[in-house]
Amino acid sequence: MGARDGLEKDEIHVPGTDTAHELALAEGLTDRVQAVPLDETRSRGEVYAEQRQRTEGGWEPRTFEAPRTELGRFDPEWAALPQISLEAATDYIAQHRTERPWLTAADAASPEARRILVAADIGDSHGHIRHEGWVTEEANMRRVAYREDPAQLDLDKRYQGIDGLRPGDRPHRCGNIATRVTDPDAFATAFARGAEHPKVRAALDIPFDADVWPGPVTVPIAELLGATGHQYCTGWQLEQVGDNTDTARENRSAWLRARREGREPDVPEPKVRPVPTFEGGDMLFVVGQNRTRDGYEIGTMHPEPPSFGH
Amino acid sequence: MSPLYWERHPDGPFATLIRVATTYCSPDADEDAYAGLKRLAKRENVEEMRVFKDELREALRDPTRLPDDELSKSVEYDDGSTEAFLRRLWHDLYGDEPIDMPSGHAT
Repeated sequence: MGARDGLEKDEIHVPGTDTAHELALAEGLTDRVQAVPLDETRSRGEVYAEQRQRTEGGWEPRTFEAPRTELGRFDPEWAALPQISLEAATDYIAQHRTERPWLTAADAASPEARRILVAADIGDSHGHIRHEGWVTEEANMRRVAYREDPAQLDLDKRYQGIDGLRPGDRPHRCGNIATRVTDPDAFATAFARGAEHPKVRAALDIPFDADVWPGPVTVPIAELLGATGHQYCTGWQLEQVGDNTDTARENRSAWLRARREGREPDVPEPKVRPVPTFEGGDMLFVVGQNRTRDGYEIGTMHPEPPSFGH
Repeated sequence: MSPLYWERHPDGPFATLIRVATTYCSPDADEDAYAGLKRLAKRENVEEMRVFKDELREALRDPTRLPDDELSKSVEYDDGSTEAFLRRLWHDLYGDEPIDMPSGHAT
């Protein structure tokens, strides 16, 4: 499987992958939707999701200018990740890009960023798998709408909501929002700078206790990626139902349960919309135990918008 | 402004409950974290867990005292309601211990 998910090329039919209900544009925006070029090679779902992100989320694809010298100096061991050379990182991607397709996002990255992404991949971090540019807008949208895990490479299991990284076919969990950093150099820069930030270091450096997980800490996106860093972040969120956030998630669970059981749902289909902005938002670092259970590492990292308080 | 309640309000009501629940129960927590919490809950010498238990007990008695939607937004549980999540959490960590029993008198 290459950089793009097979769903996008309509290579595999999975029920529900191209239904338009959840993809409906916000009212009043139809006149701003651009016509799809005849030579468009992406799936309808991906074009639709990206158009919604552009029109409702104000997003435009951008290339982040990597601070290559700084990234080259970054020591992965500082983030409890293995050391790896630039050359070994390139070899690792060539060797594993088929069974770990998220690595293909690093093709567009600087060598220094590539090294950091590979170090994270060899470690137990999964931020680069679910929250970086390999994940498409459509995949992110479907993740929050239908709990379809982009890390799940078995498309039948993905449709069933089975987590792709946890053992034992466990259900994938997704809260009210799914976000990503859209550029691999931006992701690697945020990761490296975050690993050196005092707040993250405080969590990484606590004495190891087998029963303790340090948990999440946040650093403003602007501190990691500069004043325009928010422009490299996108996300999708569940439309709130009523006046609390429980109802939207509960309705989503009920709707998915009905779909799995082949019966008509008695709740509305989940509705999602692009996160309007990440300006003023934070990067959330989840610090957990490493694979060998003798230290702590950054388990994942993803952007949070300012209006979506945890 | 941090999206994490306990970073915004370190001395706020139920800050420990929300922080611990988020760390070990949210979708970002890995599959072994919840087992770690169960072990941690049995360690009587951990001050944070004593505070956590007291706050969990108070939240179960009156969930309306929890700050706005903070617990739900932070933990993003799938139990259907705050009350259901809190009850599950108490049962998983403390079994059949009565909620009304004060700290330090666990059976």
